[in-house]
Amino acid sequence: MENKIPAYLVKPVADQKDLSETKGPRLAFLDKTILNSARAAKAIYVQAENSTVQSVIQKINPHIKLISLIYFLFIISIANRIEAQAVITAFIFSLYVLAKLKVFEVYKRTFLLAFIFGFVIVLPASLNLVTPGRIILNIMTFNKPSHFLIYTIPQNIGFTDDGFKVVLLIFLRILNSVSFGMLIVFTTSFPLFVKSFKILGVPDTFLMIITLAYKYIFILSRTIEETYFAFKSRLLGNIKNEKIREVISGRIFFIFKKSMRFYENTYNAMVSRAYQGKIILHSQKKLSYHDFVALFIIVVSGICIIYFL
Amino acid sequence: MHIPDGYLSPQTYIPLFGVFVAAATVAVKKVKNEVSARNIPYLGMAAAFSFIIMMFNLPIPGGTSGHAVGSAVIAIIFGPWAAMLAVSVAIIIQALIFGDGGITAIGANCFNMAVFMPFTAYYIFRLFNNKTSKKSRISFSSFISGYLSLVLAAILTATEFGIQPLIASSADGKALYCPYDLKIAVPAMAVEHMLLFGIVEGIITAIIVNYFLKTEPSSIYALRERSKNE
Repeated sequence: MENKIPAYLVKPVADQKDLSETKGPRLAFLDKTILNSARAAKAIYVQAENSTVQSVIQKINPHIKLISLIYFLFIISIANRIEAQAVITAFIFSLYVLAKLKVFEVYKRTFLLAFIFGFVIVLPASLNLVTPGRIILNIMTFNKPSHFLIYTIPQNIGFTDDGFKVVLLIFLRILNSVSFGMLIVFTTSFPLFVKSFKILGVPDTFLMIITLAYKYIFILSRTIEETYFAFKSRLLGNIKNEKIREVISGRIFFIFKKSMRFYENTYNAMVSRAYQGKIILHSQKKLSYHDFVALFIIVVSGICIIYFL
Repeated sequence: MHIPDGYLSPQTYIPLFGVFVAAATVAVKKVKNEVSARNIPYLGMAAAFSFIIMMFNLPIPGGTSGHAVGSAVIAIIFGPWAAMLAVSVAIIIQALIFGDGGITAIGANCFNMAVFMPFTAYYIFRLFNNKTSKKSRISFSSFISGYLSLVLAAILTATEFGIQPLIASSADGKALYCPYDLKIAVPAMAVEHMLLFGIVEGIITAIIVNYFLKTEPSSIYALRERSKNE
C-alpha cells in the first residue's frame, strides 16, 4: 500500500537532533523546591492530624502544655549528667506512647536532627585537640608536638574518653529537646497553642501575625508545588541556567504578588467583620483537675531529675 | 545558621531572648505607624513570604544550586522593621513545626537572623547604593548586602557558640554545651560563609531584587524610602 504520509513529516530535519539523545535539563534544583514545599505542607498537615487524636496528652490545656514545654526544656538544658538525660529520654518516650502518636515516624525525624547536630557536627570535639583526656582510640602520631598560629597540635591525636562523654551528653540533650518540643506541638492545635503565648505577655497582635502566617504558608506551599510541577512538565531539552534563574525569579515575584492579594483579601474580610485595628483574642477553656495533675507530674519529674540524678 | 537546642547555655539563650523581645516590641510599634490598621495581615503575609523564599532553590553559576536565608532580600523589599517581625515569625514557625532551630534557641536565632541580619543588610544596601538608580549599582548593592550580612551574622553566631566553653563548662573543664571555643568556631563559620554560603546569599539576593526592580520597582521598600528622602 502506498505511503500517504506527507514527505515533510517523514523526512528528518537536518539540524534537529533526536530529542531522546539530548541531555535533559538539570532539574535537581526544581525537585528540591518541590520537595521543600511538599515537606512544609506535609508537616503542617501531620501536625494538624496528630493534634486531633484523642488521648490523655491531647486533652491537656494548651496553657499547661506551654508552661510544661518551657519548664522541661529548661530542665533538659541544665541537666548536665548523662544518666539524667537518659532518664529524660525514657520519660519522654513514655509520654509519646501515652499520646498515641506514630512514635516511629516522629522519632525518625528527631533522631535525624540529633544525629546531625549532636553527633556529626560534635564528633570532632571528642578528639584530644578539643577535649583533653585519656586517649582511647589513637588516630595519628607525630614525632613531636607542634604549634601553628594560635593552635597547638599534640604528638598523638585521638578520641578521648571525656570527649565521647561530651558528645553523648550533647546528643542526648538535643534528642530530648527536639522530641519533647515535638511532643507538645504535635499534640496541640497550632492556633490554640499560639494563643496560649498570651500568658507570657506576648501581644495579641504578634500572635495573630503568627496564626495568619501559618495559614498563608500552607496555602503558598501548595501553590509553589503546583506551579513547579507545571513548570517541570513543560521543560524539554537543555535550558541555560541564566534563563532558569529568570523564570524562578518570576515564580518568586508571582508568589509575592499572590501573597499581596491574600493580604488585601484578608484585610477586607477583617474590615467587613468590624475590624478597626485592634486584635483581642478570646481566652481558652478553663483549667481542669486533669490539667493540674499533668502540671504536677511534669514539675515533680523535673525536680527529681535535677536533684537525684 | 539555625542554632539547635543544646548548643547554647541558659546564660546565653535567656539574655538573647530578652534582647529579641525588646527589639520586637519596638518593631511592632514602628510597623503599626507605617502601615496602620493593615499591619496584621501585611506582616502575616510578609512572614509567610520570608518563610517561602527559603524554599526556592536557584541554580548558582558554577554548577551548584542553593537557597537564601532570605533576611537580606526581605529587609530590602519590606524594610528592616517589618523584616524583623516577618523573619522572626518564620523562625518561630520553623522551630515549632519543622524542628529547624531549637525552641530554647528561638531568641538567639531571632536575634541573629531577624534583628542583626536585616538591619545590617538594609544599611549596607543603602550605603553601597548611594542614591543611584543604575541597575548595575543596585544589583551590586544587593549582592554585597546579602553577602556581608550573612557573613557577619555567621560570625555573630560563631561567637555565641565559641563563648560556651568559657562561660558554661563543668568543674573539671569539660564542655557542657557547644564544645568548640572561639578559635575553632569563628574561623570555621567565617571561612565557609565567606567562600560559599555568603556568595550564594548575595547572588540570590541580587537576582530577586533585580527581578523586582525590572517588574515593579515601587514594591522595593529601600528604593521607596530613598526617593522619599530625596
